[in-house]
Amino acid sequence: MNELLAVDATGVTKTFGAVRAVADISVRVAAGEVYGVLGPNGAGKTTFLRMLFGLIRPDSGTIRVLGKTWDEHGVGVLDGVGGFIESPRFYPYLTGRQNLEGLALLDGGTRPGLLEDVLDLVEMSERADQKVGGYSYGMRQRLGVAASLLREPRLLVLDEPANGLDPAGIRDMRALVKRLAGSGLTVLLSSHDMDEVEEICDNVTIMKRGAVAFHGTISKLRTMAPDPGHLLSTTDDDRALALARQHPALLVVRDPDAALVVTGPQPDVAAYVSTLVRDGIDLLAFNQTQTPLEALFFMLTDDTTHQTLDRPVELTQAAR
Amino acid sequence: MSATTTSPLNTVEATSDTTRRAGLFAPLRWEVRKLRAQYRAKAVLLGAVVLPIIIVVVIHGQSRPPKDTLFGRFATVNGFALALLVLGFAAQWVIPLLTAVVAGDIFASEDQHGTWKTVLTRSTSRGSLFWAKTLTTAGFAVLVLVVLATATIASSVLIVGHQPLIGLSGQTIPATEALRLVALSWAVMLPPMLGFTCLAILLSVWSRNPAVGIAAPVVIGMVMQLVGAVGGVEAIRPFLLTTPFEAWHGLFADPRFTGPLSQGLLTSAAWCALSLGAAFAMLRRRDITGG
Repeated sequence: MNELLAVDATGVTKTFGAVRAVADISVRVAAGEVYGVLGPNGAGKTTFLRMLFGLIRPDSGTIRVLGKTWDEHGVGVLDGVGGFIESPRFYPYLTGRQNLEGLALLDGGTRPGLLEDVLDLVEMSERADQKVGGYSYGMRQRLGVAASLLREPRLLVLDEPANGLDPAGIRDMRALVKRLAGSGLTVLLSSHDMDEVEEICDNVTIMKRGAVAFHGTISKLRTMAPDPGHLLSTTDDDRALALARQHPALLVVRDPDAALVVTGPQPDVAAYVSTLVRDGIDLLAFNQTQTPLEALFFMLTDDTTHQTLDRPVELTQAAR
Repeated sequence: MSATTTSPLNTVEATSDTTRRAGLFAPLRWEVRKLRAQYRAKAVLLGAVVLPIIIVVVIHGQSRPPKDTLFGRFATVNGFALALLVLGFAAQWVIPLLTAVVAGDIFASEDQHGTWKTVLTRSTSRGSLFWAKTLTTAGFAVLVLVVLATATIASSVLIVGHQPLIGLSGQTIPATEALRLVALSWAVMLPPMLGFTCLAILLSVWSRNPAVGIAAPVVIGMVMQLVGAVGGVEAIRPFLLTTPFEAWHGLFADPRFTGPLSQGLLTSAAWCALSLGAAFAMLRRRDITGG
């Protein structure tokens, strides 16, 4: 028995002119896991995935997909691999069904009934006979998933599948990806949304400017996450700021929008709120500014700040 | 920077399942299916049927024939002469345009629609896709030429008549022989037409822009005709892709001469080989970053 990783990329580098899009990254994805590749736009996620699909040739390094490499197996690397890069594209003058039939032809055929099955799965059966030119963005995303599943993949690669969707579309797409992941597929998911990755993935690689900023499990990432920040608006912000001195574990600063930003451990934040209420200060608004993982994501990927809040400039004026 | 991680090493077995190859026939079917769905291709075929009939009717209705063109003197009274007059006109820019409408678009439209990444993430190699597209455009070029020739010859003969034709040396060519020679003359258009098809493919791959892929072969054809018409360039005339369009002239001389036919065949084949070779190399080496 030959045991293999679903994806085994080692020392992969790609340069476009003077720009190093991917710099010596290594990623290993085990079978059956849901793996996230996270990073801001321009981090190199899509370039890496394009190299995985053979759309771009790496300058150096090797990419082994389900045990095969492009150099040795050519297009055979993609046996058992399905997915799409960025927003999936189709021929607008053909119907959704015709597009899928054509792609099935390029796959060397599919088993009978599969096309209807995947259309059902992505809830596109009723719109399948309309031209793709009239599809909404979300419908094209779903058709992209259907086209990927038509290959009956063991490895599903999805590049920002929820990108550009409305909230309902994002919810549906995440539910679909979770369902697929639950079916035992290996899923490699690229995203710039920490929530999405946290919700779906087991392991994550965070990329920044073509390099790896973090590799590890979501649970390990959580342990590194900073305290959450909260946006607080009260009937008397000046007094609320003064009362913050009773809670030395907290960082409370004034926000430019005349609110307060409170950062610190959750129990201390709760105690601080109790203090405010006890002193007769009413809360007008109380919202989390970022989840802890979001804050960590920005710390790892943002060039302009290494702080946990989204308004780092205000932190310089911080007072406890 | 390099780092590596993996979850508890679940592994997969290397299996040979899902090993499917599309080969060449499947992408060929796919390209033909796409072409059949495009209004542009249908419009070209419709134009190849209708426009010759309109031209034949208009010229036949004129009181004065276009005497300054080859066979123009007899165009209003002889259907074969009119079919050859239309042939001479079509060779100037119509034939390059008709083939470029599909050939100049077939690769660049994948860039336009952003679908390279869609088709190249299936079980079809770039090479198979390239040859499928090339064969589709070549087949379309043959079809358009057959339709154009048939429509022109049929409408000319039916509307103007099928009297014996006066040849370029003043000899009389019987109607049956004239029909054969006129059909052969149209067939002689095929090699340079395929040359322009391959040139359009090259420009389509290189420019990634359908407008360039379609318009540039026509412009290049016109420039070649201009160069071929000026004096002092006899040495390069045989290598121009437009020169084979005139190779049929020898069929209507007495005695006939067929040297330009074989020379035209060689020239067209060379243009096809060079254009396709360059286009194939470009597509093979290209990084697909768009879409």
